[in-house]
Amino acid sequence: MSDSAPLTTDQPGQVASATPPAPGRSRRLSDRGLAVAFTSPALLLLLAMSVFPLLWALYLSFTDYSATRGGPAQFVGFGNYTAILASEQVHLRALTTLVYVVGAVTLQTVLGFAIAYLISRRTRGRGLLTTLFLVPMMLSPVVVGLFWRFMLDAQFGVVNSMLGSIGLGQVEWLTGQRTALISLILVDTWQWTPFIMLIALAGLTAVPRYLYEAASIDRASEWFRFRTITLPLVWPLLLIAVLFRAIEAFRLFDLVYILTSGGPGVSTETLSFHVYKVAFLGFNTGTASAYGILMILVVIILTQLYLRYLNKLKED
Amino acid sequence: MRYPQRRGRLSVPGRTVLLATAAMVVATTLVACGGQSDSAPKAPATIPELTKDPLTLSFIWFDWPPAHALETFANAEYTKLRPNVTVKVKTVPNANWHDAMFTQFAAHKTDFDIPILDSQHIGEAVTNGNILDITDFVKKNIDVKAYNPYLLAAYGQFPQAETGKRDENASLYGLPLLGDTWTMIYRKDLIGDKPPQTWDEMISVAEKCQADNPGVSGLAFHQANGSDAAAVTYNTVNGVYGGNLWNPKTRKINGVLNDAAGHEAMDVLVNKMKPLTAKGSGNWFIDEVNAAVAQGKACIAFNWIAASGGLLDPKQSTLGTTREQILDKLGFATLPSQKTNLVPLGGMGMHVSAYSPEANQAEALSFMKWFEQADIQKKWAAAGGVPSRTDALESPEFLDAAPFNQVYTDSVPRMRDMWNVPEYARLVDIENTNVNAALNGAKTPKEALDDIAKEQQSVLDAAGGKGGGGL
Repeated sequence: MSDSAPLTTDQPGQVASATPPAPGRSRRLSDRGLAVAFTSPALLLLLAMSVFPLLWALYLSFTDYSATRGGPAQFVGFGNYTAILASEQVHLRALTTLVYVVGAVTLQTVLGFAIAYLISRRTRGRGLLTTLFLVPMMLSPVVVGLFWRFMLDAQFGVVNSMLGSIGLGQVEWLTGQRTALISLILVDTWQWTPFIMLIALAGLTAVPRYLYEAASIDRASEWFRFRTITLPLVWPLLLIAVLFRAIEAFRLFDLVYILTSGGPGVSTETLSFHVYKVAFLGFNTGTASAYGILMILVVIILTQLYLRYLNKLKED
Repeated sequence: MRYPQRRGRLSVPGRTVLLATAAMVVATTLVACGGQSDSAPKAPATIPELTKDPLTLSFIWFDWPPAHALETFANAEYTKLRPNVTVKVKTVPNANWHDAMFTQFAAHKTDFDIPILDSQHIGEAVTNGNILDITDFVKKNIDVKAYNPYLLAAYGQFPQAETGKRDENASLYGLPLLGDTWTMIYRKDLIGDKPPQTWDEMISVAEKCQADNPGVSGLAFHQANGSDAAAVTYNTVNGVYGGNLWNPKTRKINGVLNDAAGHEAMDVLVNKMKPLTAKGSGNWFIDEVNAAVAQGKACIAFNWIAASGGLLDPKQSTLGTTREQILDKLGFATLPSQKTNLVPLGGMGMHVSAYSPEANQAEALSFMKWFEQADIQKKWAAAGGVPSRTDALESPEFLDAAPFNQVYTDSVPRMRDMWNVPEYARLVDIENTNVNAALNGAKTPKEALDDIAKEQQSVLDAAGGKGGGGL
């Protein structure tokens, strides 16, 4: 083993000598070279698969380019952006998406936290319960959509069959104007409540026991302990889970595609589903690119506001 | 500082990474900006020399029984002529069918040689140069007089032919693969052996049947907002009640589709037919309608002939334990007429991908020539396909193969297609979503029809505007 070399120097500009390469190692492959060699495949992949498409979409969003109709892309300035922002069709989809995001994330947060709280109070079987609750999250959304489509079928579905057996009437889960969106929220909640539960459970487990012990000595009620110890300590972590879920719900596509195809009419068409139609039915690539960029901007802005709130919460 | 030498030139690996990145960006940009053709390339009149090496000839279609029947049939029969060829029919869900083909066309690289296009997709594929112009090939190799001219035109001609005719000077881009139309499926044990002859009579018979048989709905038909489900249903009723989808010469939809006949058709569909369907059937398409018939839940149903084979399978039906028992209860008839006797044109043609390797394109042409022969068309009929040659349609091989085949033969002179224009995918989506909205109470019939006419007109008016718009 070679002698250790100093990593700092008193003389400015002089190169600090690191540990010399091990015998047999190429002289040209310095530590930095090695680092570059290891990271470059991932970086190149990232550039090709994420950064370049994003920049390319940004460029296309200012043109009237169509992926199928040929001809050079003509620069249209902010034309696509103004058309999208002024479109009543887009406003309608934005409202549907907003209702969906608020409904689904609220329901998932309440249920997820409640389940996590109940599990955290158990001493036996906690691991098994947690694993069982996580199963829906492991499934592909397409598979989830397909089996819920069968279960919610008004004529042949098991849900209506059960409702019928207890004397309740048939519900048009996927074809009613109001029930279709509720069905989407319920299916999404079934699948993603475990995610919130998991993060809430991690937060609940991290709450120091001595705080509860101290509260017990002071004869604090259960509700008081929950309100003043549990909730404030878990809240920041829960908000991060809500942020992740809100972003996911905002770009919902798969469940809509499988369960309702956006129907009845367009009453469950979300923004992502609408972008898909613009991009692949009409191949209006320029418009679809602008639409996608606007959606990214909305997510970025909302996330920034949210993170600021989180930081403020942390500082307080 | 640990790495002050960074101020100088980049290290060799760093420069390599930078150069590789730049090369990749340039290459990707070139691919993304790849040149595009705006006219269909021509296929040779004579089939080029075929390869003797093993070759897989790939089709793309949506997942339904005829797709599987085609693969089995072609591998059993075509390989007798070309033993080195394997036929593969790639299938995608119906709702993805258009996207699966046209996203590959957009990339100028296809993993299929023969796209099976809906008749209305031809305009989009031709305008973008995605499929070969086979006019010269057809002249030299295909007996065009063996077909009903409109069938040949519907599955191959662009610009679109006038209903019932073929323009012999127009170019051909495809040949018929599978003919199809709607059949009326009715319960003989519930409404009698004689099918209703007019649309109004059909509705009143269905109404009475529903009232007499609790738990059985009067009607079952396509209402979903995916694919072309609800749109075909409205177009059928529109045709029967004397309406028109558009004026192809002036490219006018607004004022034509939503004229008095159009509104009457929408009123009949939403206010007279819809109340006779099962609750929650607003998202039904082919499979759901078949399931309702097979489980004895519908008095009268409408479905595509090519998708009706499963109704005769005792394993899938509660109507009988043998095919004969099922046929004692089920009858198949041509659609009732009212002001006109029009029926929807279904089915698909086969085309040659412009991006397929030359050897595969040659094999595709060879397959098409083989497939359109009289004896092969009869064998295709016997294997469960619906042929297009008149001699095959009138042959016992076809007529005896299934009880609904006579319906197809009788329906051929009555067919009407939708718009075969490059904007088809947008037009049909607008119609689907609005008809589905009307059928499920999200819009009034008048509001839905006026919205369809207005939105479709704006799509046609913006045609040629490339990639802007589309909202």
